Amino acid sequence: MQVKEFKVKWGMVVDLDKCTGCGACMVACQAENNIAPVTEGSNKLRTLTWMLVYELSNGKDFPEHDIAYLPRPCMQCGKPSCSTVCPVVATTKDEEGGIVSQIYPRCIGCRYCMAACPYHARYFNWFDPVWPEGMDKTLNISTSVRPRGVVEKCTFCHHRFAAAKEKARMEGRDPMHLEEEDYIPACVEVCPTGAIVFGDLNNPEHKVAKLAKSRYAFRLLERLGTDPQVYYMSKREWVRRQGDNYLENEKTKGE
Amino acid sequence: MGLDRRGFITFLVGGAAGTLFTPVPWKLLDDVSIWSQNWPWIPKLKYGAKGVTPTTCKLCPAGCGLDINTVGKRPVTAEGNFSHPLSQGGICPLGAAAVQLLYSPARVKGPLKNNGGKFESISWDEAKKILAEKLSTQKGSGNVALISGDENGTANEVLAAFLAALGSSDYYFMPSDATAYATAWNKIMGGQGQIGFDLENSDYVLMLGADLLSSWGTVVRNQKAFGQKKGQYIYVGPVQTGSASVADKWVPVLPGKESVFALGLAYYILKAGKTCSAKGFAEFKEYVLTNYTPSKVQALTGVPANDIKKIAAELIAARRPVVVSGSDFGQGSGSLDMVAGIFLNLLLGRLNQPGGLVALPSVQAVDKAPDLNQLRQNSLINFISDVQKGAKRPDVLFIYEANPLYALPQGAQVASVLDKIPFKVSFSTFLDETAAKADLVLPTPHFLERLDDAYTPFGAGAVTYSVSTPVIKPVFDAKPTPDFILELAGALGVDLGISSFEDVLSAKAEKLGADWEELQGGQAYVGDKKVFQSALALPTQILSGGLKMPSSEYPIYLAPVARPYIGNTKLATPPFGVVTIRENELKGKDFYVHLNKATAKKLGLKQDKKVKLVSAAGQCKALVNITETVMNDVVAAPLGFGHTAWDDFSKGKGDNVFNVLTVTQEKPTGLYVWNNSQVKVVKA
Repeated sequence: MQVKEFKVKWGMVVDLDKCTGCGACMVACQAENNIAPVTEGSNKLRTLTWMLVYELSNGKDFPEHDIAYLPRPCMQCGKPSCSTVCPVVATTKDEEGGIVSQIYPRCIGCRYCMAACPYHARYFNWFDPVWPEGMDKTLNISTSVRPRGVVEKCTFCHHRFAAAKEKARMEGRDPMHLEEEDYIPACVEVCPTGAIVFGDLNNPEHKVAKLAKSRYAFRLLERLGTDPQVYYMSKREWVRRQGDNYLENEKTKGE
Repeated sequence: MGLDRRGFITFLVGGAAGTLFTPVPWKLLDDVSIWSQNWPWIPKLKYGAKGVTPTTCKLCPAGCGLDINTVGKRPVTAEGNFSHPLSQGGICPLGAAAVQLLYSPARVKGPLKNNGGKFESISWDEAKKILAEKLSTQKGSGNVALISGDENGTANEVLAAFLAALGSSDYYFMPSDATAYATAWNKIMGGQGQIGFDLENSDYVLMLGADLLSSWGTVVRNQKAFGQKKGQYIYVGPVQTGSASVADKWVPVLPGKESVFALGLAYYILKAGKTCSAKGFAEFKEYVLTNYTPSKVQALTGVPANDIKKIAAELIAARRPVVVSGSDFGQGSGSLDMVAGIFLNLLLGRLNQPGGLVALPSVQAVDKAPDLNQLRQNSLINFISDVQKGAKRPDVLFIYEANPLYALPQGAQVASVLDKIPFKVSFSTFLDETAAKADLVLPTPHFLERLDDAYTPFGAGAVTYSVSTPVIKPVFDAKPTPDFILELAGALGVDLGISSFEDVLSAKAEKLGADWEELQGGQAYVGDKKVFQSALALPTQILSGGLKMPSSEYPIYLAPVARPYIGNTKLATPPFGVVTIRENELKGKDFYVHLNKATAKKLGLKQDKKVKLVSAAGQCKALVNITETVMNDVVAAPLGFGHTAWDDFSKGKGDNVFNVLTVTQEKPTGLYVWNNSQVKVVKA
């Protein structure tokens, strides 16, 4: 498979030892990206959430039990499984920055990408989006509204990236050398414990570059070879172990 | 030359292949996919100039500073204000959904009058006339009462001044740990000022019940302090809540027994020779040392004595420890819980120290208003029981930004008591359960539409004052309640010495030494004043309460869990909060209660089975979720479900756990307590 290398590679490091599962990232994401509210939300087969917080358990009985929360956006894989199966080139990874794109008007709703994505990060619009009367006045003008029949997913708030580059150009700075605070996705911005850190994985001045190399950092299903740009970290061995399929006697990454 | 079959097929195949080399089919396909997604019923983006307006959130008492992104002067999304000390750029799921609540289907669109069970629209003038008539007969008789769900707004001063002018002192705040602390600290211990916790500078935070990182106090600021953490966080409580999930250690303790655990710690700390100068210390110490012995505490709390000893040693060894006691779900504590927590801080010498327990001064702007800290000590549950007994007979009840019909323990009793009050006026933004039963509903604007403020939200570690500035004109016919009350006072000929609510707020700013313009521009005032304590007393007489044995009729402890994304005591699940509800919290119309394997086995319950929680106060229906996040003999139940009013985003989902919470009286203070309810779990 051909892999395009990027000079700038936006990525996330989520410290699972800081996530309290409060859900602020999910709500902020919905509002930022114009995802229509639904009246039935607990059946996760029917909901549309670019960012979804999972509950993890160490599987032990009380009182040895431990719990952790895992926010899951799109992994923006280096070798995305989704874009290679798209018959209409509606999702690609070819823009500097390394964000997997999603071009709604091109999507024909075949959902191959959803089947291909190992992270369940892609969602299908089974219905036309409906906002309660008047609530459409709160639509964010940076994101288009998707109709029924279209697949969508987290874009690392790509519109914020575009705006940050534009601002940098206006100020005479290099748009390919953005500072950490120039471009922050909505979920990262609102996270009250600062569990999510965002930046350029290739820029040693950005926090993520260092955090991603931490002994405690891992990625989901790393050994599939999708090369995700979303990293997680936890000092808890059992949490890291759930990030991948380990053989019984195999050592967990970071041990 | 004729066209033979072979030639015809060659032409067709060749033609089909040939068109693929022209852009025509691709262009057509592109157009089709664009236009087939471009329907008139798909909402269009409404473009306009972008802007940011800072304000202060009033959806819960935490008082976060928000930055509201606007488009063409319309609020669009909410973010945390980076320069605000209580949000520091962070936000909770309710704040993140605040803008969309402007257009919630549950909003009250204008003044409503209840005409025999059906609401009809009236004008604000008519509403004023009706109320002026009602109240002119009340004037001086004191038969008017008020319930406020706004914990820290100056609006309370205006409302309380109005009530006082009508001769009534029946002003009640919705119960919370803020009111419980006011009672324990100010009334029982003789403390001055409002209690707060300087988490930022602490190196050992012991959360006794208080779900600090999930729902308690200044929650976003607590989470920020944790995010930049300097030391250990220990959570003590019956359920692995959001706080326990990230804490360095979770110590499971039965609901409402955190106070006993605290006194168990005190035992070791006293043994280590620690002391404090409060009045009655010797007697208090003696009682703790003889009655809260390790073996007894172990039996009552379920925590091994050795673990208690270890934590006591850690507290002593820490440089700047702080103990935060509170109810697991933010209300229902008695004075024992708070006194025990405060006592530990005193023993460790943490009062008014960096990273410790602080006492913060209050400031009032309305001269004719009674002291709000005093009003916080008024018990709403006492009032409800007084009305039930006939000891109090209010003719008119005002309800400001509160939903007592939904969010008080023993819901059935509250409903019957409210029925006894002949005239109820709800000042609510949304048609909640209480508004739906009111005689008049006078909508107060959404906080993005009004001027309001938050003074030192409960739990904050320093005096903090910030202002909500209107971001948009009211989208419905709503009027700020303080403005309406001032008009009403004018109509009744009552002089409150106030010209406008804005003047009250700017006077408050001036008293604090804050700049009114800067406050309106979204800057928070932070003060470093603390209140010196001169006459603290330790009430030994309350200590016997912790030794009470549990009820055997209702063998399972109920641990309600507050999760802001489901809603809070005054707000149902907002439209944008619905998807945050997990699969193990709600299934169709039923919500889950949570027990661990051992408890489920004992009760013969299986996953997804229908059960009823039955208490002395009432019952609720639920499904069973077996999870090891709950300690033995405890059933955890999320608050915030079971709404009967509101809208399709929250109505008819699950059941209301408040109805099952049972109040008991704490001896000898007479305070009502409901953080230790017990239930039976029966198959339904």
